[in-house]
Amino acid sequence: MNPGLTPHESAAKHVTGEAVYIDDMHVNDQLLVGRVVYSPHAHARITSFDLSAAKAVAGVHAVLSYKDIPGHNQMGPVIKDEPCLAETEVVCVGQAIFLIAAETEEQAREAERLIKIEFEQLEPVLTIEDAMAKNNLLGPPRTMQRGDADAALQSTLHRISGELKTGAQEHWYLESQVCLCIPGEENEINVFSSTQHPSETQALIAEVLGIRKHDVVVEVRRIGGAFGGKETQGNHAACWAALLCHATKRPVKIRLFRDDDMIMTGKRHRFLSKYEAGFDDDGNLLAAKIELNSDGGCAVDLSFAIMERAMLHSDNAYYIPNMHVLARVWKTNLPSNTAFRGFGGPQGMAVIETIIDRIARRLHKDPLEIRHKNFYGDESRNITHYGETVEHNRLPLIYDQLVSSAEYFQRREAVNKFNDRNEFYKKGLALTPVKFGISFTTSFLNQAGALVNIYKDGTMLVNHGGTEMGQGLHTKMQQIAAAEFGIGLDNVKVNATNTSKVPNTSATAASAGADLNGMAVKNAVDTLKGRIAETLAHIFTEKNPERPSLQQNIRFECDSIFDSSHSERRMGFAEAISLVNFRQVSLSATGFYKTPNIGWDKEKGWGKPFHYYAFGMACTEVLVDTLTGHHTILRTDILHDVGDSLNPQIDLGQVEGGYIQGNGWVTTEEIKWDAKGNLMTHSPDTYKIPSVQDIPKDFRTQLLQNVPQPDTIRKSKAVAEPPLMLALSTWLAIKDAISAVANHEIEPDFSLPATNELIVLAVEELKRKKKDIIMNQTVISTR
Amino acid sequence: MRSSVSFILDNKVISEDFKDAVLPTTTVLNYLRSLPVHKGVKEGCAEGDCGACTVVLGELAGDKIKYTAVNSCLVFLPMIHGKQLVTVENLKSADGALHPVQQAMVETGGSQCGFCTPGFIMSMFALYKNHNQPNRETIDDALTGNLCRCTGYRPIVEASAKSCVHCGLDSLTSWEPNVVQHLRSIERSAALIETKHQTYFQPRTLLEALTLKHQHTDAVVICGATDVALRVTKKHELLKKIIDLSLVDELQQIQDDPDCLRIGSAATLSSIEGSIVNFPALRDTFRVFGSVQIRNLATLGGNIGSASPIGDTLSALIPYGAKVVLQSVADKREVLLENFITGYRKTVRADDELIVEIIVPRPSPESIIKWYKVSKRKDLDISTISAGFRLELDSTNKISSVTLAYGGMAEQVKRARSAEDFLQGKLWSRETVEQAMPFIDKDFTPISDARAGKEFRQVAARNLLLKFWSETSPEKGKPR
Repeated sequence: MNPGLTPHESAAKHVTGEAVYIDDMHVNDQLLVGRVVYSPHAHARITSFDLSAAKAVAGVHAVLSYKDIPGHNQMGPVIKDEPCLAETEVVCVGQAIFLIAAETEEQAREAERLIKIEFEQLEPVLTIEDAMAKNNLLGPPRTMQRGDADAALQSTLHRISGELKTGAQEHWYLESQVCLCIPGEENEINVFSSTQHPSETQALIAEVLGIRKHDVVVEVRRIGGAFGGKETQGNHAACWAALLCHATKRPVKIRLFRDDDMIMTGKRHRFLSKYEAGFDDDGNLLAAKIELNSDGGCAVDLSFAIMERAMLHSDNAYYIPNMHVLARVWKTNLPSNTAFRGFGGPQGMAVIETIIDRIARRLHKDPLEIRHKNFYGDESRNITHYGETVEHNRLPLIYDQLVSSAEYFQRREAVNKFNDRNEFYKKGLALTPVKFGISFTTSFLNQAGALVNIYKDGTMLVNHGGTEMGQGLHTKMQQIAAAEFGIGLDNVKVNATNTSKVPNTSATAASAGADLNGMAVKNAVDTLKGRIAETLAHIFTEKNPERPSLQQNIRFECDSIFDSSHSERRMGFAEAISLVNFRQVSLSATGFYKTPNIGWDKEKGWGKPFHYYAFGMACTEVLVDTLTGHHTILRTDILHDVGDSLNPQIDLGQVEGGYIQGNGWVTTEEIKWDAKGNLMTHSPDTYKIPSVQDIPKDFRTQLLQNVPQPDTIRKSKAVAEPPLMLALSTWLAIKDAISAVANHEIEPDFSLPATNELIVLAVEELKRKKKDIIMNQTVISTR
Repeated sequence: MRSSVSFILDNKVISEDFKDAVLPTTTVLNYLRSLPVHKGVKEGCAEGDCGACTVVLGELAGDKIKYTAVNSCLVFLPMIHGKQLVTVENLKSADGALHPVQQAMVETGGSQCGFCTPGFIMSMFALYKNHNQPNRETIDDALTGNLCRCTGYRPIVEASAKSCVHCGLDSLTSWEPNVVQHLRSIERSAALIETKHQTYFQPRTLLEALTLKHQHTDAVVICGATDVALRVTKKHELLKKIIDLSLVDELQQIQDDPDCLRIGSAATLSSIEGSIVNFPALRDTFRVFGSVQIRNLATLGGNIGSASPIGDTLSALIPYGAKVVLQSVADKREVLLENFITGYRKTVRADDELIVEIIVPRPSPESIIKWYKVSKRKDLDISTISAGFRLELDSTNKISSVTLAYGGMAEQVKRARSAEDFLQGKLWSRETVEQAMPFIDKDFTPISDARAGKEFRQVAARNLLLKFWSETSPEKGKPR
């Protein structure tokens, strides 16, 4: 395997437009357009509705309400609190109420206009603060602790406390939610869904249709971007399309229009966090008390798992001897918030990084000095606040290499000098770490399956449970199978993910897609290699009975299979496969994997939830125009740990892409709802994800070299989520620049995202406070 | 009179006669996606903000073809009459080899989920055709109109730099003479496309256009349609009558007179770019106006005519003392731009008038004119506020004349009159400017909206005046 030169398996199809997404699939002329009619109110009672006029529109084949659902009216993934179609109450703007299937989009829209529905308005809860005031919890609070934070806070020399708001984030996958359902015989339904979790999509469709799972086949060839937004909420469009397909017995496709997608689907959870921290003169963190409050929206979805990960990442890379984390998920009348790359980790880390940053300002030290001092140790100070030992700690290695390659301390000097010279322009610099736990914290989900078929011509079709959404999972699976068999990549094809090939899978999520499915593929490959080796050993021995070939000496290399102790006993791979088939040996095998050595006691909040940690650091320098609030990233240096990379180009792409997506969250991506719970930022006109102009002018990303990870697929590590949190360096570099306006002597008002609005207003506030201080000093000196 | 639309697709002349319930306002995006072999083009937003639908239009320029990238979601089918429509499916050579921009994207890992990729490829193809060895600024500009959520863009920039090195030569080059012939065979005559629900006029001359406007005062006038198209793609309005000025050559002229620049109202912003090198504030406006795809369609007449409170060219042109030329069948008049707009999307234009020209007087050498934009994202974003300033100082550094035009601060683009009055005759100093800043608060009562709060608008509006001052002071203006 020469992993450096293996492009994405679909790259040539992407660039020619030949890659087929669900909306591009050719369907027969019976295809109907599905349309979802959703609530215009954040909270209301449905008092009556009349669908008769809508049903009478020519070309309309079905108009469905909850009464037409043959099975359970339910699509909640964990807790059954999400009706597929609203019954008597709507709990957010964008909640589905009716479904329409028509021959054309115009007919469907016409039918929507003719639906009569009456609402009685109820009072909505639209903010975390309001939910807290009304004690509107989505579930019980949770705590995690180690040591005695209260007692330690009493005795520490220095203490800080504060509040931090971190904003929501829209996934903005380029391909909006889409599903195509095609009816089969009797109850059978074939579903082509843009979902990260085909098995759950299958289960929920069976549930709403009142049919059995073996009648539902869900297939995913590729997803046009997901980022967590299709972990549970891809199910919705799938259930709706399935209902219409079942009702009309015709193929039905639902593709959400961009604005509808943004209005209807959940976002990254916004958080309102509170903290208290105690530290000594040198900046050693001695205690932290953190309170995390998230906006779960109108239903549970994955909110508790997301909150759990936020709690588990409230330490980020720092050893905190006394720590207490309290977490509450609040219920509001907004679409149910959901998974988004990082899954709570970013929100937890933003709090502890704020604490570190404030300690530095209080002690008049460089924040990097405080960070370095508090990093987890190798031999001691290496146990997290939930009891997991930080093994294979790469923090010191990454720190040493990055501080030097990014010339952090020299640039700090230069930044200070620049800030002395310039009044309206300020530069900021920050180097921040990421330590991210890899595994689903719901331990049973850490399993994967595969099915590998070898055909008589020596070609191979690999099926596994993971979905391809751009992250290069299929490429990595193809590489693993090819490398294990010693054959060329072009002999291995990865099939569309299909529930009839590999059943009962977990979502492709938690960055674990390659880890879990890679091991499952290898497991299937090992089974096949065993069978092939045994058969070939027989065949070789038959010709040389006096000197038998032993199974354990059979090698798979260079498109051939041979006996390593008799290298002349060699056969081309394809020829060998055809012989094995002739000997009546199965060339199809399943593989399975479950993550070993994890054990997490959710009740106690103690144990080993993670198989291992991924590490990385980023150093970002920004230039801020304090008059307009515009910022420019002048340079970014990233050093990230992916173990022995399965595919460096793909992994680099994940690291860079994650960092830029994180930069969107911490800078320009601001979500606003109005006072009635309508999403104001419902299109790219007002919701601004990073463009090419927003990336660092000088962008240097490296993968940490020579760090094989034990007990993982080919000594690699997960990538996907962790790099998103490298963007906290951008956020804190902006804060550093703002802080320079008052010579780092006053703590700026700062939250996330740091929009130009926040920057300008924070600078105004600092100038005011600075003026007050100068005036007070003048008063004192004249006395 | 022509009643169909002809263009070149897949090296063939295609004619659409709008007989099969196809509306003239069908977008090129929807048209392409209705075909079996053109599903490469993608819809990401249907409003020109993501670029997933980017296609390239080829137009005759002498005996060559000029290639421009556009958002196919904003282009109505009749607008491509007489043009070549190039899609992502057309770039591979006959032997199946990838186009250099495609090959480079594969090599650099420029695609991940791949959904935005065809759009990027088409922007890169236009870049490939128009620039050899483009610098980073040119590449960034070419890619600003395309959003990618996966890669972080770095490999796409690298692929662009790596591939655009063959002076635009590729497998399409050998077809060009053929295409030129085809294009010449398409008659660029006036059109009247009448369908059951919609009438679409495409006049050829100004007189025809004025006559149509006289007869159909209720018709919607379009040229690039970058604003009006959203009424179709997002609000699903059925526009009953449309007058499309994109074939009226007289309205696309740009005339560089000694005392002024005369810009035809239907000239695209891209076509104007070369003529405004001596109008630095306008140049700054164009640099952050939409994207290449938008500027290839949008016209100055359209931006002015829509009279948006945040129309960027308005705050940029007012300090120049620009004038709007309005014409009807009977009359022709000039109106000062700042008097042209009378309220929220309201103007003095009469129903039978068309904007035919914009006159930008050449400023005196003593004038300092600057334009600023504050937006959440620096590029391809609608302004939170914008400001165009003009300053003239006498020999003692006193202010002899000042214009402060703001966008995004009121229901229309407006001058900060009381701040201007305060500044008049005073010494141009920081002290004066700081004293003038509170007057801006008096001049405007901005609102809070999806883009920003009113407090930010107020602070930023004041700050822009300070910024203007700082940029006239050698010590403060630029980071150093």
